[in-house]
Amino acid sequence: MSERVYTAIIVDDEDLARAVVQEHLAGHPEITVVASCGNGFEAVKAAAEHKPDLLFLDIQMPKLTGFEVLELLDPQPTVVFITAYDQHALKAFEVHAVDYLLKPFNAERFEEALVRAKARCDQGQPMGPQPMELSAAARSDWPLDRLVVKDGTKVTLIPLARLDYVQAQDDYVLLKTPEKSHLKQQTISNLETRLDPKRFLRIHRSFIIQLDRLARLEQTPSESWVAVLQDGTRLPVSKSGYARLKSVLDAGAV
Amino acid sequence: MNPLLGSRAALGTYLLGWIPIGGLLVFVALGQHWRLVEALVFTAPLCLGGAFLFLSSWYLCKALPLRTATLGSHGVAWILAALIMANLWAGGGLALAWALGQVPMLSGIYFKARVAGSFLVAVGAVVYLAVLTLHYLMDAVARGKLSEAREAEFRILAQDAELRALRAQLNPHFLFNSLNSISALTTLDPAKARGMCILLSDFLRGSLRLGEKKLVSLAEEVDLLKSYLAIEQIRFGSRLQVQWEIDPRTQAEPIPALLLQPLVENAIKHGIAGLTEGGVVRIAARRLGPVLEVQVENPVDEDTPVVHGLGLGLRQVRSRLQMRFGERMRFEAGVVDGQHRVHMVFPAETPDVPTPDEVQK
Repeated sequence: MSERVYTAIIVDDEDLARAVVQEHLAGHPEITVVASCGNGFEAVKAAAEHKPDLLFLDIQMPKLTGFEVLELLDPQPTVVFITAYDQHALKAFEVHAVDYLLKPFNAERFEEALVRAKARCDQGQPMGPQPMELSAAARSDWPLDRLVVKDGTKVTLIPLARLDYVQAQDDYVLLKTPEKSHLKQQTISNLETRLDPKRFLRIHRSFIIQLDRLARLEQTPSESWVAVLQDGTRLPVSKSGYARLKSVLDAGAV
Repeated sequence: MNPLLGSRAALGTYLLGWIPIGGLLVFVALGQHWRLVEALVFTAPLCLGGAFLFLSSWYLCKALPLRTATLGSHGVAWILAALIMANLWAGGGLALAWALGQVPMLSGIYFKARVAGSFLVAVGAVVYLAVLTLHYLMDAVARGKLSEAREAEFRILAQDAELRALRAQLNPHFLFNSLNSISALTTLDPAKARGMCILLSDFLRGSLRLGEKKLVSLAEEVDLLKSYLAIEQIRFGSRLQVQWEIDPRTQAEPIPALLLQPLVENAIKHGIAGLTEGGVVRIAARRLGPVLEVQVENPVDEDTPVVHGLGLGLRQVRSRLQMRFGERMRFEAGVVDGQHRVHMVFPAETPDVPTPDEVQK
């Protein structure tokens, strides 16, 4: 037995489901439950505050799914998913979850998950994926219809329909909506792979636009192209971006 | 296009039908001292031309469908059309006779044809009306086939819905989540755990029983919904509230079994479960004279992208109603001001008796 104390947060939208986990943990004095959250927003806030070692995480919840919660956490805690749905198991392991418990589970199964989770914590290194990896995994079975952004402790959901364009800024992307811009830690190439290519197009190394925001294309005196959006924003179009844009527009015009 | 022109067999049969008409014309002509050769060279092209000319009655049949018929409006149009077409035909006949008369051997034919002019108009009008009737008949047969096909499609959808409703009682996630709640309650509150086992049994037994029937009374369906919602209320705690507005006059009304169950399940799955604070599921049924109005309403999360069109569950509920009531029902579903509402109206089958309260008043 190690002498170490582990902090944990339980996240589930059902009171009784949280109570079960709490009860199983009661026999483990080395585990301290620092928070018990009923939805994804609370979980993100609590995790930012407590930086727990362990996260017992439901997947289907109001507001944010378990995967979206994980995407917003830095550092990544060791995660045990607990859900009634078995179809997310593959993805859970893609995001390096240490275990995946199916409701209802017995005490032995819970102990097994706990032993693994503690071992992972003891290894000391952050085994959690980088946000980039996480998103790549999320692509496999999670059609993206919104983006989650964390600004301090505030979590914002951006429906893709509100997104005008995306601008790369080193390891971050600037997400531009009519109201304001949001900064998210993700590379533009990674975000590009998660977006529907019918709606979004990479027009330049640093820019992705939502196609229906495009008002017109203009040629500059130096023979390069500029995309003019409906709100008047002018964005540079690279040579390969122009070729992509043209093939999409030609196909759309038929 | 005219269905008679669509198939060689149909056109052949139609043209064969003109042979007796031609025979009759020849017979009459011989009686009027036409020579046989005159009668034959005149009648054959005349009948062939008439056969194609009268196919135009198809347009009239399409323009004036029998469904909208009143003898006044349609009858006048039919007779007018018959007279016009018959005159056209007879006129064509005279032109034909004039052309034939240029041949020395048939020089008398134009005069004889002019004498027969009004007779031709009369025959033409009668034949035109017969061809028109034929078109109406064919249209009715085709329409019958189409509605049979549509009915079969409804039936398949409705059967799908019935299968799905049966499966819904065994919705695995509902069962797993309920069992997880029971597992939590066994130590927290053993009496409540037992209560939930009993509720779950009641619900499963009830849905099996209802699933075997085609029609159940609204009261039976409501009882089943009550046990379902009682289970979900244990799971969701204070997040799920239920508001019942069931008019006592609707209790005995027969409805397709498990019609409302998928709607209430949707209200939880796509409504309450997505809301941090939860909300109220409202289930209302009332009698409005000859019809029954049923509504299921629940709040939805505004951040969740709105799904356009009806989901499979809602489409199936609609097709089950359509199957039973045809055009005499209304089904609407959609989100207004953060509330998802399903609104159904269909004919009531029990007599509309006033409630005891109303009698006292």
